[in-house]
Amino acid sequence: MDPTPPESETRPEFTPSSADSTVQSINPVESRPEATTPFESVPSRSNSLDELTHDLTSLHDLSTRGQYQSILEKISQSKSLSLLTYPHERLTYLTYQIISLIKLRRLDEASHELNSLHDLDGEHYRYETFPEIYPNRKGSIVPFSLRWIHALVPIKLGDRQEGLDRLYTLLDFVRERIKVKEAHELWRTREVFVMSCLLGFHLGHKEFGVALELVKELLQRKPFDPVLVSKLGYVQLQFGDVEGAKATFRRVEKMGDETPQFKNLVGRNKALVHVVEKDFVSAVREYEECIERDSFDVVAVNNKALCLMYSRDLSDAIKVMESALERVPTVALDESLVGNLCSMYELAYVNHGDVKKTLNDWIARVAPDDFDSSCTRV
Amino acid sequence: MSSTATQGPHSLAFRVMRLCKPSFHVDPPLRIDPFDLLSGEDFSDDPSSASLLRRHLSSTDAVDSDLSYRNRFLINHPTDPIGLSGLLLLPQSFGAIYLGETFCSYISVNNSSTSQVRDVTIKAEIQTERQRILLLDTSKSPVESIRTGGRYDFIVEHDVKELGAHTLVCSALYNDADGERKYLPQFFKFVVANPLSVRTKETTFLEACIENHTKSNLFMDQVDFEPAKQWTALRLHDQQHPPTSDLAGLIPNPPVIIRSGGGIHNYLYKLVPSSDVSGQPKFQGSSILGKFQITWRTNLGEPGRLQTQQILGAPVSRKEINMRVVEVPTAIHLNRPFSASLNLTNQTDRQLGPFEVSLTQDESQMEKPVAINGLQKLMLPRLEAFGSNDFQLNLIASKLGVQKIAGITALDTREKKTYELVPEMEIFVESD
Repeated sequence: MDPTPPESETRPEFTPSSADSTVQSINPVESRPEATTPFESVPSRSNSLDELTHDLTSLHDLSTRGQYQSILEKISQSKSLSLLTYPHERLTYLTYQIISLIKLRRLDEASHELNSLHDLDGEHYRYETFPEIYPNRKGSIVPFSLRWIHALVPIKLGDRQEGLDRLYTLLDFVRERIKVKEAHELWRTREVFVMSCLLGFHLGHKEFGVALELVKELLQRKPFDPVLVSKLGYVQLQFGDVEGAKATFRRVEKMGDETPQFKNLVGRNKALVHVVEKDFVSAVREYEECIERDSFDVVAVNNKALCLMYSRDLSDAIKVMESALERVPTVALDESLVGNLCSMYELAYVNHGDVKKTLNDWIARVAPDDFDSSCTRV
Repeated sequence: MSSTATQGPHSLAFRVMRLCKPSFHVDPPLRIDPFDLLSGEDFSDDPSSASLLRRHLSSTDAVDSDLSYRNRFLINHPTDPIGLSGLLLLPQSFGAIYLGETFCSYISVNNSSTSQVRDVTIKAEIQTERQRILLLDTSKSPVESIRTGGRYDFIVEHDVKELGAHTLVCSALYNDADGERKYLPQFFKFVVANPLSVRTKETTFLEACIENHTKSNLFMDQVDFEPAKQWTALRLHDQQHPPTSDLAGLIPNPPVIIRSGGGIHNYLYKLVPSSDVSGQPKFQGSSILGKFQITWRTNLGEPGRLQTQQILGAPVSRKEINMRVVEVPTAIHLNRPFSASLNLTNQTDRQLGPFEVSLTQDESQMEKPVAINGLQKLMLPRLEAFGSNDFQLNLIASKLGVQKIAGITALDTREKKTYELVPEMEIFVESD
């Protein structure tokens, strides 16, 4: 390997350190010589994410706008122009790339990129392997999301068992870090993240025994979180324990808070009990109060529309859905809401093809890249 | 639901959708915590890096634009990854329907023609093999008119009490634009299946095994055994563990949920004769024990209920004659005769017998693995009240391995009653 550090072509403000001339020959992602400037020595160009990684502000911005195509173009450009100099940048970009591919449902490509990774716990991905770049830093360079994605992809490809195994292994990994580290707040957050994800997958498969065990464990960590306790209520409703759910919702109500978010949570819980008891008029009233407090409460909007339909008022149900899409498209543009609206169209119109096509065309103009328009069943 | 096509150009058409309870949307989303993506997982180990990252993130948060789909990418609340927001979904398909459930349907009659129709009488009925049930009939007050592009909607409900083929018959009688009186029938077929089977076993205990034949998991809301007058029933179940103190009462004791597609759950009852029934006759005929009332719930508390038929008990009589094997040799060899000691006891208060002991010949005429060697019938004398008789039987085994001494009977030649050898005895047959 060439021992002389090359000039970094794309960062003219760097002054390559001439004293430190050893080039790290381990390069897990691309085979080009490393820049040797310590990462921390980069002068702060702006008080922004770009300080951490090249153009990170832009990546973050694009992701929150749902512009995954643009993210992929940006990543491909940065590769061809060799814009990335540090291992942590390449890992961050790789993670954004894989996430974007999954969002766009290009799962084989996502899987392919994942397979190009070395063992995530290996030397390649640790700060101390590159002391000239990260002089005082120890630990793993791997973004935690990348580990999670590694477990998610098999599930999306249809190998649920492999995915679940990986998620449980990830949970063990997180729990080990909690035991070992002093500052482990972030890892506790990650533990809740992985447990929640597992809970969702088990619920989706109606595996209520395991799901209840996970809920119990989550509640042990956060017994007074009204959103979490409400979710226990939803699980109980899912398998039909109406009295259990009512008791759970009463507990949530007692957690007393005056914020609109909390009031809406309690209101939506009350409405669900009305739905179960087939009192759709009262349910609609609860949801209307929620919408008045927060017009972005899309769960209330969607559920109100369904209650109108169950009260024989299909026309108003459709109006509520359409008005939400017009008023607050960034929250209303949700595959489930749109799916419900299309079911309503199919019931209301003998020739529903036209009205669904109009909806589909509008979605194509407004929706983010990852919106799955198969929900319109056009 | 499938519908048969109607003949002729009709101005009206029925659209139908089954309205079982909506369900929760559950789908773990692809949403992340920025701390997990924007830097390495151990980047925030030192406090200055952690605060650096936090600062940068809050500066981006400040820029909140209307065109943001941030909620599709970033998590808000730690439980967002569950993907259970409480959003409800309409039923995506007709689904399966079972005896004991309530069939509910949205019915919409649309005028898709270019002109108004008048004087519309709408009827909805359920037709089964046995009967025709009227759910809706507007003939007393017909709908005056339905404009072009207009609709008339209604919701019908019916408690399903029969198995097999059902047809929802929707019909409209109306005057079209030319004043012609037209009749539009539409048919929507569905099949009602049996949700549960209840198998019982009893001695003085009643064990019921409930098996779930549906496609959903069933939450058993109530399973009640209603005993017949002469019995009192006591439900037996394990002691529940007391709930842990910090979650006192929050998580209920494990609910009884029977898994879909063949899951089972057993219920055990102890049956005690009611105190007002005097004594216990020795030789009763079969007795009625009682019946089960079962209520289950599925998604969002959707209820179903069934009652079983009367459950019958086996005859309660004590046996008059007891015949059993007392002893067999320790080593029994294939095709070599051996002697088994048996005992015949008279459990009544009168003389019985004489008896003829032999091997039953069953329909298959197959060779029994253990047969009587030599004379096929052994005569035993009469037995006094509560008396017993020990005797030997010469047997021979024709098959290797674990075999049963079974099928041996004692015939009371006077009363012409047959008693079986109980219990069957297992022996091990070795080779020569």
